[in-house]
Amino acid sequence: MESETKKRVFIVDDESGFTHLLKLTLERTGRFTVKEENDGTKAWLAAREFMPDIIFLDVVMPKIDGGDVAKQMTSDPMLQHVPIIFLTAIVSEKEGGHMIGGFPFISKPVSLQAITECIDKHLRAS
Amino acid sequence: MPPPVTEKFRVLLIEDNAGDVFLLRSMLDSERKCGFYISDVAGTLADGICLMETHRFDVALVNLSLPDCAGIDTIVTLHAAVPEIPVVILSDEGEEDLALNALPLGAQESLVKGRLDGTTLQRAMRYAIERMRAEAALAREREMLNTLLDNIPDRIYFKDVESRFLRINHALTELFGLDRPEQAYGKTDADFYGGEHAAKALGDERRVMDTGEPLLGDVEFEMLADGRKSWSLTTKLPLRDRSGAIVGTCGISREITAMKEMEEQLATERNLLRSVIDNLPDRIYLKDASGVYLLDNVAHQRWLGASDADEVLGRSVFDFFSDEIANHLHAVDCQIMETREPQLNLEELLVDAEEQPSWVLTTKVPWIDDVGSVLGLVCISRDITLQKMNEESLRSTNAELNRSREEVLAAMQKLQRAHHDLRSVQLQLIEAEKMKMVGRLAAGVAHEVKNPLAVVKMGTEFLSMHEMAGEPDVRETLTGMVDAVSRADAVIRGLLDFSAPKTLEVRPESLNAVIERALILVRGDLKGIAIERELARSLPVVKLDVGKISQVFINLLTNAAHAMEGGGMITVRTYTKQLTGVGANVSDQRMESFRIGQALVIVEIDDTGHGIPEEKLPKIFEPFYTTKPTGKGTGLGLSVVKTIVDLHQATIDLRNLPSGGTRATMMFRT
Repeated sequence: MESETKKRVFIVDDESGFTHLLKLTLERTGRFTVKEENDGTKAWLAAREFMPDIIFLDVVMPKIDGGDVAKQMTSDPMLQHVPIIFLTAIVSEKEGGHMIGGFPFISKPVSLQAITECIDKHLRAS
Repeated sequence: MPPPVTEKFRVLLIEDNAGDVFLLRSMLDSERKCGFYISDVAGTLADGICLMETHRFDVALVNLSLPDCAGIDTIVTLHAAVPEIPVVILSDEGEEDLALNALPLGAQESLVKGRLDGTTLQRAMRYAIERMRAEAALAREREMLNTLLDNIPDRIYFKDVESRFLRINHALTELFGLDRPEQAYGKTDADFYGGEHAAKALGDERRVMDTGEPLLGDVEFEMLADGRKSWSLTTKLPLRDRSGAIVGTCGISREITAMKEMEEQLATERNLLRSVIDNLPDRIYLKDASGVYLLDNVAHQRWLGASDADEVLGRSVFDFFSDEIANHLHAVDCQIMETREPQLNLEELLVDAEEQPSWVLTTKVPWIDDVGSVLGLVCISRDITLQKMNEESLRSTNAELNRSREEVLAAMQKLQRAHHDLRSVQLQLIEAEKMKMVGRLAAGVAHEVKNPLAVVKMGTEFLSMHEMAGEPDVRETLTGMVDAVSRADAVIRGLLDFSAPKTLEVRPESLNAVIERALILVRGDLKGIAIERELARSLPVVKLDVGKISQVFINLLTNAAHAMEGGGMITVRTYTKQLTGVGANVSDQRMESFRIGQALVIVEIDDTGHGIPEEKLPKIFEPFYTTKPTGKGTGLGLSVVKTIVDLHQATIDLRNLPSGGTRATMMFRT
């Protein structure tokens, strides 16, 4: 049952070092089950399989853009209710609340606190 | 009754016969009252002449037969020696013929000795004296006449009824080129003059003789043989004999060629002058003291509307102008004549006889005679209407030129300004293009750097949850790592801000409100620092991109805070200002951004920190230039500020305050 109460977090980023550490860190809190995906083209199928509560999506990836991945997800009836948060190394974040293409984002490097607050905020809202 | 004898006549008797001497004395003695007496007796001619040369005698009685001389020679010798003494010849019987022959040679009377008596003798002597006197008088007259005829330069002639010369004087002899006057006698004018002249003279003389009327002061012209012109003034009179009958003509003629030539020259000069005066475009006239025209030229006549001088001379301005104008003109003339002050080159607007106005340049001079009396005045005036009009048009052309010049200058200034604007736009475009590239570069760098940073940061997060994070060394290491990541992240973020797309979303905003929000956002950095607000109450709204301007204030306030590590005070001030000119606070660079008279909103942020080293002031807006110690600033804050302020077409200026600290001054257009 423990796994059912844990929130399922899906991280898509080509930087495997980052996804791996984020997975370890989040899971170490004991509150999250994390799946990482380093190939953006496989993200959609992986998401359908994993069925996350929330998705963190890198914007700039090889082969496919984060925005395109987001479109795939939101056009999938099985996934369209899942909140997507962009993780970006490009846009400088100021005071939060900024949006990219209608999605909220947090900018890298990100602190554990910022991630958890973000997850809590969006899952509480949904 | 005979008249009483008052004269005593001294008689010289030249007689060698003593008996005759006695007889003659006796005759005269018996006639005592006759007044003649023989004062001396000479026996020879030589004695007689000697006596006459030393004594005065009234008459001489001379015997023709004397011891030293006889016959006619006696008289000839005597007359040659003493021509002025009247002589009565005493001849013997039978010598009457001789005596008669001697008479014209110097004797006045002759008597025959045997037929003498006192009365006869006395009468003869008286007669001789009278005759001598008459002859002398006649001789004197002839002398005077000859003197006159031969010395007068006028030519004089006497002609007979056939107009043949009877007598000509010296001047005429010379004219004819003769040696002696006699060479002309018996000849006529035809022998000396051309036929035409001779015929005219002959006609004139005939007329004088026919009518008996003189021809007076006739001017004759003749062309002389040598081609010279000759004029003469001739008077011809009838020549009458004693009975009054006309026997010829006489005439006197004076050479007047020089006079005539002078006259002709004068006439030529007068005509020349006249034609000059008449052909001058200037109006010239002479008027007498009462204002009556005495002389004028064609230009003046035309101005008066007259067709010739006859319509003008003898009249005055009152005959040509209305009373009002005439009175004015006359008064001016009177004043000049009264004061004798000439009026020189006066420019005046006058009307002509048809009241057409024209501009004239007039000079009037009083006409003064030799003794200083004013006779009238002379005036010369020139129509300068055309010049005046030209002057006027020149003036207006000049004014137009000046205007055009000013317009061209203004256009040039505009052009220069436009050029300057264009150039700064070009520079901005170049800058923008550069910044776009920097932006792309920054984005790439940010991505490539931020991902590893994200890994490191996540790694520190993970490790800090690990058991060994409880150990002090590990915790210290982790904290250092987190700090380093934060710093690197700040640099990347500044770089992204600096290279962010340069577009504004402007809205009218209150600067005071933006400042208040910025102060709230940076409150965490302002611990220990006092904030003083001097915000103007009614500040005009300014078109702003609130997000970007907020960043400007945040950066400036943060910088101020960093300059006052040990605490201090920040003063934020806003006010409006009318730009009146280049003053101490307004640099040239600002003048290019703003126009005089524009209302500006000024924001000043003062701190009480350490200030900016003077040598670094010119570089503070350059990217990656920082005055902060390593690790304290990115070197991009003020570059971002400058870029944003520029985008708002505002200005920013940082300077150190005399009291210490720094003042940032921004000027926004309203």
